[in-house]
Amino acid sequence: MSSVESSGDGGKWLDAHYDPVAGLYTFSSCVDLADLSGDRESRLVVGDLGTGSSGMKLKVYRGTALISENTLLDLPAGLVAFFMDLHEPRIPAVAVASGPCIYVYKNLRPYFKFTLPSLDVNPLEQDVWQQVREGQIDPVMLKEMLESIRKKADIPLSIRSLRFLSLEADEADEFVQLHKQQPIRRQTVITCIGTLKKSTADEDGISCLVIGTESTDVFILDPEAFTILCKMSLPAVPTMMDVTGQFDVEFRITVACRNGSIYILRRESEKPKYCIKLSSHPVGLVRVGKNVVVGCTDESLQGFTQKGKKLWKIILPAPITTMAPMDLPTRGLQAVLVALANCQVQLYREKNLLSTIKTPDTVTSICFGRYGREDGTLIMTTKGGGLMVKILKRTAVFDDRDSTPGPPVAQSVRLNVPKKTKLYVDQTLRERENGLAMHRAFHMDLSRMRLAAVRAYVKALESSLTPISSSLSEPLKMNAVVQGLGPSFKLTLNVQNTASCRPVMNLAISFLYDDNLYRIRNPYMRIPLLVPGLIYPVETFVECTSDKGISDIIKVFVLHEEKSSPLLTAHINMPVSEGLMLN
Amino acid sequence: MEVTMDPLFLAVSYFRRRKLQQCSDICGKILQDNPYDQAAWSLKTRALTEMVYIDEVDVDQEGIAEMMLDESSIAQVARPGTSLRLPGTSHGGGPTPAVRPMTQSGRPITGFVRPSTQSGRPGTMEQAIKTPRTASTARPVTSSSGRFIRLGTASMLTNPEGPFINLSRINLSKYSKKPCLSRTLFEYIFHHENDVKTALDLAAQATEHAQFKDWWWKVQLGKCYYRLGLYREAEKQFRSALNQQEVVDTYLYLTKVYQRLDQPITALNLFKQGLDHFPGEVTLLTGIARIHEEMNNIPSATEYYKEVLKQDNTHVEAIACIGSNHFYTDQPEIALRFYRRLLQMGVYNCQLYNNLGLCCFYAQQYDMTLSSFERALALVASDEEQADVWYNVGHVAVGIGDLMLAYQCFKLTLAFNNDHAEAYNNLAVLELRKGHIEQSKAFLQTAASLAPHMYEPYFNLSILCEKDGSYGPTRQAGFCKQLQQHFAVL
Repeated sequence: MSSVESSGDGGKWLDAHYDPVAGLYTFSSCVDLADLSGDRESRLVVGDLGTGSSGMKLKVYRGTALISENTLLDLPAGLVAFFMDLHEPRIPAVAVASGPCIYVYKNLRPYFKFTLPSLDVNPLEQDVWQQVREGQIDPVMLKEMLESIRKKADIPLSIRSLRFLSLEADEADEFVQLHKQQPIRRQTVITCIGTLKKSTADEDGISCLVIGTESTDVFILDPEAFTILCKMSLPAVPTMMDVTGQFDVEFRITVACRNGSIYILRRESEKPKYCIKLSSHPVGLVRVGKNVVVGCTDESLQGFTQKGKKLWKIILPAPITTMAPMDLPTRGLQAVLVALANCQVQLYREKNLLSTIKTPDTVTSICFGRYGREDGTLIMTTKGGGLMVKILKRTAVFDDRDSTPGPPVAQSVRLNVPKKTKLYVDQTLRERENGLAMHRAFHMDLSRMRLAAVRAYVKALESSLTPISSSLSEPLKMNAVVQGLGPSFKLTLNVQNTASCRPVMNLAISFLYDDNLYRIRNPYMRIPLLVPGLIYPVETFVECTSDKGISDIIKVFVLHEEKSSPLLTAHINMPVSEGLMLN
Repeated sequence: MEVTMDPLFLAVSYFRRRKLQQCSDICGKILQDNPYDQAAWSLKTRALTEMVYIDEVDVDQEGIAEMMLDESSIAQVARPGTSLRLPGTSHGGGPTPAVRPMTQSGRPITGFVRPSTQSGRPGTMEQAIKTPRTASTARPVTSSSGRFIRLGTASMLTNPEGPFINLSRINLSKYSKKPCLSRTLFEYIFHHENDVKTALDLAAQATEHAQFKDWWWKVQLGKCYYRLGLYREAEKQFRSALNQQEVVDTYLYLTKVYQRLDQPITALNLFKQGLDHFPGEVTLLTGIARIHEEMNNIPSATEYYKEVLKQDNTHVEAIACIGSNHFYTDQPEIALRFYRRLLQMGVYNCQLYNNLGLCCFYAQQYDMTLSSFERALALVASDEEQADVWYNVGHVAVGIGDLMLAYQCFKLTLAFNNDHAEAYNNLAVLELRKGHIEQSKAFLQTAASLAPHMYEPYFNLSILCEKDGSYGPTRQAGFCKQLQQHFAVL
């Protein structure tokens, strides 16, 4: 399967389905997998945002096909499938949160609509509108008064007043005429939704809905009567939540809020128990076991304990678009899927990157779970409205690669160091016993060697034997290459000026050789001006005149005009000429 | 009264004592008196042959023509482990090239220089005709010229009055019918005159005369075919000779044929077959070890060299190879033992002291290190050897932190051997430490051009260029790509 290979995930996923023009525009909070018809085959339920102003739909996929579509009235903020009763067959209902309402669908038909209780209205505002209704004040006056209420009052204005304030003067009149007869109501909207098992931890136990609202409250709803069981308030507006536990026993709601904090709510406490202050805004919240993994806008992924203690933080290669948990209990795998803006989906267990999936487009929603009859299915929708389904191979193995900075993994691999031999031990013993004598002998040798080296070096410098000249005025370097089989050889001398900026001029090359053996075409050559750093190949041809099969050394001198001693000398061991021998 | 010895007897005695020149002179005198003295004639041919005789089994160097114009190669990329031409395929277990230096062809450096260990097969024609660094002469064009010419043309240089036997006038069919003369004549033609075609004619007629029942002639025919590059015919002759008579030499010749045909596995099987008939035969064991070594399977090569040492505990090649293997696998103290053994056996040369010095240094026997190098310097025979000794002294100097000495040593290395790429590389690093970036870069470029098989100059140069901010040369020369390829191979 070439497409799997090219996706660069090491062949851990099978490409089950990819429809780049599925027209699904949604986020992770509006995607769920549920067995909607009780035939033990999971469907994909998606709250499609459409264009953002129209075309909002509740879509259900089975396999690769769209099997049902229901129009939604407003943009969905969240979608969950949950069991609301104990009837057989066990078919879950779908709750779609949009605006101030929750629409509950059963068997894909509208079943119930729950609206959040309205909030208190500012009495001053109410008075003002009352006066408008009685015609006591004109819209200009109304605007001024509402403006002053907005600035001072504790209870914020209603939507209607806010809308009025944002209008231009010419539209204001019409707006007032249209709306003044209705009483003012203040409604909040749902920002996030979750489910909480009521009394049993069974997979198909009855669940309560947990709702976070714009009014910084968290409500827990009874699934049968749709009454508010519990109300908790937060210091800020919740945006994402994760719920665990049972309502009747003990539960824990982890809420990420718009002020960049994460609050942890528990049973029997109206106020949050713990608070995690993040350094940037959260974009994804996933619970893995007892820990919470948060993705932030500063391209980091952070791990926290249940009590808000920070465990780790890693930096990601690109901004996060969405996150989802990947829980595969049959294989004991609990990990986090993180979609990035650079068209990658990375899988992390703790802080270790397990695998990377490359996608053709930026992924905006991820959902992992049972789809159809396959347990490990990864469903992704992309920015361009594509739908992608991948199936985890049963043979796929994820191994931890420690991606943290610090000592790399290779460092902990044991080197194949041979065992200490007895010989080695004996030698160290000798070293220990005769350390002083050895040290003295070494230093004496070293002095002698230094002397010998310096002598040879001076000799080499005096006769310019080295192929490198390090004199300050003409730092040069030369090396020679002989090519050919004979009797004709090509001799290439590569001359290079190693000074940093000064060119060298007035150089020439000449040779010293046995003229009984060799004939050189140009025994004296002038070298052009040498620009620093470039290699100048100087070529000539050498002819071997002997047929005896012997070879000799050719000495090459680089000379400077007006100087008697050469700058450089190179000795070329000529190869034996083979050419004449061939008959 | 003086009793004169029979001159022929004297000649035989000289021959036995390997005073070949005297033997040949006396035979010449006898032949002047009596040109038809067959005994003297035969003895003289033998003496002349012995003078230039080289062991046909060992001396073998593949020429450019064989390598580049190979007719028998079928698959361009052989399967790993079945070919001698893929040096990169390691069987694991051995040290990586980062630890053990490699030759130009990508084989690890062996402990014992043999004609075939230096080069391997070059990748391009240009590489083939360039003078390799490790050999002081260029590669022979074909194996039928080159080394054999130099070794076998004694007649051309030493006999100004002309050859002893004029081959163009000799009546081969007459000689081929005289078994006692034909063999010495054949060896003379083959080794002394190096005229393979005439030798082949003689051998063909002689084997016909012997009704194809003489294994010796078949082996000689095989040798001639081998020299002429007719490997399949040579294989047939050697096989047939083996059927008649099991001889170690024939096994060796036949495996040579298979190695030339790039069938190392067949060669190994043949060696093992030979070992069944001649258990513990040192030359066969050595052959196996060499093939394993050429195929980069150093651990099994070492196993076989150890087997060789069990049979012959003075085998220099085995001792040297095991020693170098121990050195490169982090056991310099054991390597030291092996080299000391060589010293005790009377091997007394520059290379050995050079190795001893390095082993002493790495085994922390500092008092002997530098004195070994001093002795090595005193024993140098050529500029290359001197360069190698200075290079190693430079290494020791780097080890003890005396960078001034190291600098001088590497400079000296280059003075004695202008093509020492390793020294260029190390010198570049020292120059960089001094802050001479331009020089350093120039040296690294030179090292890279001199030794394209080394990865260090590329690595250093790319790091230097990266620090320098000039990405141009790194990309241009494809250094990064080459680096990647290099590391992919490791």
